[in-house]
Amino acid sequence: MNLDLTWRLLRGGGRKGLLGTWLTLGAVAVSTALLLFAVAANFAFQARADRSAWRNPVETKGAAVAIEAARHDYVRDKEITVIDLAALGADAPAPPGMARFPAPGEVWLSPALKELAGQLPADQLAGRFPSPKGVLGEEALLYPGELVAVVGHKPDAPELTRPRSDDWIVGYSPVKVASLAGEPMDDAEAYQVLALIAGVLMVVPLLVFGGAAARLTVARRDQRLATLRLVGATPGQVVGMTVAEAVIVAFAGAITGTLAYALAAPLLAGIQIGGGGWFVSDLWPSPLVLGGLLVGVPLLVGLSAVVGLRRVVVSPLGVAKRETPPGLRFIRVVALLAVLAVVPLLSRGNAVGPIAVVIGLAFLCVNLVGPWVVGVIGRVTAGRARRPARLLAGRRLVDDPRSAWRTVSGVAMTGFVAGFLCLLSPGALSGFADAGQLQVAVPAGQTATVAEQARTRLKAAGITATVKPAKKLVAVALGTSADAATVDRARTALAGLVPGHTPTTEADDQHFGVQILADVRAGTVVVLSVSFLVAIASAGITAASSILDRRQTYGLLRLAGTPLEVLDKARRAETLIPLTVMGGGAILVGAFCAAPFMIGAVNATGVLTLVLCVGLGFAGVIAAGALSRPLLQSVTTDPAPRPD
Amino acid sequence: MNDVLVGRALAKRFGQTVALGGVDLAVRAGEAVAIMGPSGSGKSTLLHCLAGIMKPDSGEVHLLGQRIDNLRERDRSALRRTRFGFVFQFGQLLPELPAEENVALPLMLGDVPRDRAVRQARDWFGPLGLHGMETRRPGELSGGQAQRVAIARALVSKPAVVFADEPTGALDQTTGQETMRLLVEATKHNGACLIVVTHDPNVAGWCDRTVEVRDGHLLVGGVRA
Repeated sequence: MNLDLTWRLLRGGGRKGLLGTWLTLGAVAVSTALLLFAVAANFAFQARADRSAWRNPVETKGAAVAIEAARHDYVRDKEITVIDLAALGADAPAPPGMARFPAPGEVWLSPALKELAGQLPADQLAGRFPSPKGVLGEEALLYPGELVAVVGHKPDAPELTRPRSDDWIVGYSPVKVASLAGEPMDDAEAYQVLALIAGVLMVVPLLVFGGAAARLTVARRDQRLATLRLVGATPGQVVGMTVAEAVIVAFAGAITGTLAYALAAPLLAGIQIGGGGWFVSDLWPSPLVLGGLLVGVPLLVGLSAVVGLRRVVVSPLGVAKRETPPGLRFIRVVALLAVLAVVPLLSRGNAVGPIAVVIGLAFLCVNLVGPWVVGVIGRVTAGRARRPARLLAGRRLVDDPRSAWRTVSGVAMTGFVAGFLCLLSPGALSGFADAGQLQVAVPAGQTATVAEQARTRLKAAGITATVKPAKKLVAVALGTSADAATVDRARTALAGLVPGHTPTTEADDQHFGVQILADVRAGTVVVLSVSFLVAIASAGITAASSILDRRQTYGLLRLAGTPLEVLDKARRAETLIPLTVMGGGAILVGAFCAAPFMIGAVNATGVLTLVLCVGLGFAGVIAAGALSRPLLQSVTTDPAPRPD
Repeated sequence: MNDVLVGRALAKRFGQTVALGGVDLAVRAGEAVAIMGPSGSGKSTLLHCLAGIMKPDSGEVHLLGQRIDNLRERDRSALRRTRFGFVFQFGQLLPELPAEENVALPLMLGDVPRDRAVRQARDWFGPLGLHGMETRRPGELSGGQAQRVAIARALVSKPAVVFADEPTGALDQTTGQETMRLLVEATKHNGACLIVVTHDPNVAGWCDRTVEVRDGHLLVGGVRA
């Protein structure tokens, strides 16, 4: 019965009522798509960690099936992961992505490496991996374009008997393994933690945005629902109808958002993290998670609608007669201060869980304090206003600080994220002294012999170089004018010179650090982009719904001769004044929360990102608000529609 | 000769519906005129055309000898703000503003400094029986009190003409009569003329004369003028 009435209210809302429904649907769709992205990103890192675990061998003291080692080689400044394997017996299992265990002398290449080996002259790459036998399946790869080679050996081959560097960034020394399951690499786990933090930073504004969308439903309906209360509907019936309407619209929005995400997934798979993009299947959450989101999002929206309805249910006349709203409590500020007091106690040594909880709480508290601060700003603005636009803006801020906060909260929350990341971004690594110098680690006492062999090999390959033995290494100087092709020819000529060791440049050795820096930057851009999208969509939707809510007031003001510019100026001031104060405040709180985890000093890139973020945020919110000006014009153009 | 507002041959259609079929009306200085008629007769359309809210399809409107129906929307807006005052049935006060700021708003829109605008606005509260209501918000006023605040707002900028569309439509009989008395007295005291649209003869009784609109035409002695 209630559902039937709800459906009729929903359909009978008229053109402007339907516009509100579409706005809510759009907001929930954007929220769901971005939420799917935030959740899927975590699963995607998990999938990468699982796929790469076999390359991180776990040593066994018991019965072993194989010997495994790993190292990194380079071509054109790209990293090649080389896995050396030898079977200990006939029952060695097939490694992931391979049909069988590689026989001694066999090489299996990833599709991208096979393609690159075919493109470049053999003396630059293919010569390092003679007689390729097969192509690795994607189960063996981190990402689609990854360069991987799996090389089969005899158990007593020097590649699998000599120790390598202890630094896992360079590679893994040969170990006997009981299986090829391995364990997730340290860097894979670090990426998962970063993805979790990014997820928290993205999900909180999304929930705020989803809540704003739900309250938009209520804002459109509160007058009608208050009337229902006045004619005797019970609070239960009013709540039931509101929840039903919000859930119906939100479910449609969640489905739309999922479809939008499905269409966007191939584009998102192009985001480069950890050296490459993603398999589209990685970015698609499991059916269970997807189902959970499709049920959870509408339920959350319904819950937000109930919270928004509280005023109607408690006091129907409160909405019908527009009494002075109750002031917001100072306890909100106390909550934020309490959370901020905990922040200095955190450090990089803390477990991830508590850190994520404290940052998440600080984030939520900024959102709690927002409306209170907006109310204070409104009182100050109205008190000092000399012009009508400012007076109107100030009074509206006091009248409904929550609504004003919804408009600016997205950018303020983005400010928090930007402030946080500004301090976290590490400084750029220093430039590399000499790109034309290779060096290879050599066992003690063999440097002279290896240097001589290197000279012979380079001469045979027609490469002019100065080879110098040093302590535990041999340095090959190709000259400052050596191009990438020459360096790769030298690398290929020297391949296998010291079994298990790869000749590398200084840039190659810094590859991991550079990669991490690039990933932090990419992650920052992704998180900020998502936050901005949410903030600007949020500002646009709230601006439009605010016009719909106040269309009678705006119409009568126009009719009495108030210029459209004054109304527009009041609307702008209503957004920009709290945006300035809250945006700045949120950036400071974000930076404060990041301070315990700061790596190095504040850097120019971080500050530039922050300035860009603030500038884009302001421009975006102003533009989103300006987009609703035609709507303002349309609701005020014909203030006297009656033909009477 | 001393006509303040004159409408000549005003015609307006909404689709196939003829709202005004060529109406002539002149209002003299200090005069209160009631426009009566049943629902859908075109009386509100006539008021909107006279007030520059709506452009007639044909015909002319003159205020103090100056033609106003052909002005641009911006100029008609300015005219409504400075030379006209409006009182409607309900919903005309801004719910966010206290009563005194609602009254002061037209002055502030005309660049009067806020302090002076609010001081001038307060001067209207005593004569209209609103003493002590200055800082209340519209939601905290009774229907009659809210209409008196609206009357103060209509008159505060010393308009030449006050337009009232069913000003007592949402009030009970006693409050309605009291509101009309205040509206007519205050308007005349202010030297403005008053045009009231109503279907209530008791309301029309407060005015100097009544014109009747039927199917978009003025009736004089029961027949089309």
